[in-house]
Amino acid sequence: MTTSIQRYHSLSIVLHWAIALALLFMFASGLYMVNADISKADQYRLFQIHKASGVLVLWVLILRIGTRIATRSPALPDALNQQQVFKAKLGHIFLYMALVTMPLSGWLMVSASPFGLPTFVFVDWINWPHIPGVARNKSIETLANNVHWITATALGTLIAGHVSAVVWHNKKHHINLISRMWWNKK
Amino acid sequence: MKTSVNSTFLNRTFPMGMLLSFSVVVYLSLATTVVQAELKSTQQSGTVSFSGQHAGMNFQGKFERWQATLNLPPQSNPQIIATFYMNSAKTGDSIYDSTLPEFDWFDVENHALGTFVSTKIEITEEGYQVLGDLTIKNITQPVSFTLTDSQDKLSTRFGINRLDYKIGWESDPDADWVSKTISISMVINK
Repeated sequence: MTTSIQRYHSLSIVLHWAIALALLFMFASGLYMVNADISKADQYRLFQIHKASGVLVLWVLILRIGTRIATRSPALPDALNQQQVFKAKLGHIFLYMALVTMPLSGWLMVSASPFGLPTFVFVDWINWPHIPGVARNKSIETLANNVHWITATALGTLIAGHVSAVVWHNKKHHINLISRMWWNKK
Repeated sequence: MKTSVNSTFLNRTFPMGMLLSFSVVVYLSLATTVVQAELKSTQQSGTVSFSGQHAGMNFQGKFERWQATLNLPPQSNPQIIATFYMNSAKTGDSIYDSTLPEFDWFDVENHALGTFVSTKIEITEEGYQVLGDLTIKNITQPVSFTLTDSQDKLSTRFGINRLDYKIGWESDPDADWVSKTISISMVINK
């Protein structure tokens, strides 16, 4: 007989909130570096930071998914009906898909870019490799660029839905879902 | 009679052999001042550098391996031949240094060497006016520059259009990021 658990594994909680903060930065830097009226030098530096951060996010995501698979997850509250459980699970699947697609499409874009600029992950001795076989392929770069932007929009929508669901269930049904993702006892 | 006295006097004071030797020494020292011997130079005795702008920021780099042979006027058949190893170009910026060897930039895999061969060298007030062919990525373009001759060194600085050599041709043909004009500098210590 297994005892029921109330929250996710501590590592999952740390990674969940780390990714949440990282995504805020990635969205902000991504939108700013493309749209803001800034100097070429600042734009170039921001691109390099965004690329390096994307590599870190990818690794944190892999660790997050690994932890999720390797550890037990708390069951959804009984108060949720079958349809809500289905929607929650589907939402999470889409969230993970979008989360993984973002850095992968970014990586593909950088690898196929005619610029061929390397991605140093904040230090000169970590040179993140390009995906082989796509160098200077403008078609693939354009495709990856479109996927990156469309997925970013989808991910933003999914995150909004994710947060809204937590708030909505709390207000409407007094279900404290966020306690599953923190160290509170209840 | 007077002449023979003087001649005898000279012969006594400066024997003929001594005079001849002296003349040869004077001639040779003058000759070496005017006509320099062939000058060979490498990264040990000079610098070949390049500079430009990327994203509005100045960058500078140098070839860490090159060699040049200079036979300057008034020597007969004056010529300058220089060879530089493209994969030795370093800027100190890891992103630039990783990108420069790539296909669209220096393409070092297919074109390991860049060369300069002069076609005409004329003496000028500052030193020399040099015309020649600069070959990068197997593309040869004529260039001209003034080679300034100071006491201890020869130096020059001239600009090339990187697009003439298909450098960054695919990546940045409109020079949105990297300046079209790249300055080449050379200093050779004598």
